[in-house]
Amino acid sequence: MASLAINQSNYLSKSMTGSKKTKKLEDSILFSLAKEEAGAFEKLVDQYGNLIWSIARRYLSNQTEAEDAVQEVFIAIWKSAGRFDPNKASEITFVSMIARRRLIDHVRKIYRHKKLEPIDDCFDDDALQTKSILDQSTDVKIISEAINQFAEEDKELLSLSIYQGYSHSEISKLMNIPLGTVKTKLRRNLIKLREIFNQDQHSIVSINNA
Amino acid sequence: MRSSDKELLLDLLVMQSTQAISDEENKELQKLIKVYPEYNNYEFDEITSLAHMSYHLDDNRSHEVLPNELKSKILNSHKQIDSLSLYKIKINEFMRSLFDQPTYAWAITVLLAIGISFSMIEFKNYDSNFRYLPLERVLLQSTSNDLVEYPWYSKQSDFAMAKGDIIWSNKSQKGFIKISGMPVNDPLKNQYQIWIIDPLKYKQPVDGGVFNINATDQDIIIPINPKLPILNAKAFAITLEQPGGVVVSSQELILTAPELRPSSTFTL
Repeated sequence: MASLAINQSNYLSKSMTGSKKTKKLEDSILFSLAKEEAGAFEKLVDQYGNLIWSIARRYLSNQTEAEDAVQEVFIAIWKSAGRFDPNKASEITFVSMIARRRLIDHVRKIYRHKKLEPIDDCFDDDALQTKSILDQSTDVKIISEAINQFAEEDKELLSLSIYQGYSHSEISKLMNIPLGTVKTKLRRNLIKLREIFNQDQHSIVSINNA
Repeated sequence: MRSSDKELLLDLLVMQSTQAISDEENKELQKLIKVYPEYNNYEFDEITSLAHMSYHLDDNRSHEVLPNELKSKILNSHKQIDSLSLYKIKINEFMRSLFDQPTYAWAITVLLAIGISFSMIEFKNYDSNFRYLPLERVLLQSTSNDLVEYPWYSKQSDFAMAKGDIIWSNKSQKGFIKISGMPVNDPLKNQYQIWIIDPLKYKQPVDGGVFNINATDQDIIIPINPKLPILNAKAFAITLEQPGGVVVSSQELILTAPELRPSSTFTL
């Protein structure tokens, strides 16, 4: 199976065409990791450990499978660190793309869909750190605002598919809408989200360059 | 190509970014990507990741804390893989420097041949979970761009609890089995044997080595040890054989990966 990292530059250059970020590569943990600086890997785990573990637990209810998968994710991020370009995507986006790709592949190996068990409330200080990383991400905020503008049915569709991990046929049964409609709506919504995101990136650049 | 083909391509790309797709769907996707090279496999990964983060931000209940024990495991894995990679680099450099000197080259070759013979005999009956096996497996997963991965499917009710997967790289000629829930075997009576199905090169499945199971309730990692060079492994199987294994199996299949056998004229 091809590594996400091998096609990373192709993928990012297509989807972020024309947009520029002004972040410095040197400020990123991934840059330090690629340079094999002492302590960089530990910083990576400190910064993103909670987030990646939380994502893994949504995909994999089995603790052992989730632990295995998270270890693989961190090794994959380490191996891909040299390909990170902050002009193409934020660090959190890069990290979460690798995490989701690895986790979806892991699920593909094991089973199609897991029943999402309710997770105990553990919104403590350490978990707040994840919230604060996400809060600080401009990219996440743009997408969040864009999703909030969608119709309720479209928001529900996106949540069931992207966040809750239901397949298209499962969503069709849950929402009682034809499978073809599910596929069409998801495709259109994601294309629209991507357009909004790219437009907003252009706006940010224009404001920064004004 | 019809516009419906482009829509199908986009649907498959969306599916790929949000859920596990089947081998047939993946085949169709790769076919369509060749027709529309302006698209790639990760077309919607960024936007779906951002959307996922956005939902995650709003869902307070899902903000978990990485367990300390797991954090230590992750940090140790990194340290050990790093040391192993450095160790391999140093060994390679050392070996290269030795072979640059002809007076040592023949002696090293003879010693290596003797050493490899012993290690192959040992590997036939190796203990699972050598200290570095989990790390070697992770290293292969992370560094191979031709990796195939399949879950195991049970073919007999006695092995219904068996669970795990296999990874293999044709380029590296290396692979690993990860398995749990297999019944314990008595090595004096029988051993499990791995088979590699390579239909383009061999009529018969290739012996991938034998192994023992001494515990059912934990994951065991076993390296695959092919007796012949593999061109393109298409499937894998496990049987229960006499101690030491056999050259050609006449036993029933216990586990296969993937579930369906590739079309072939094989006897296994």
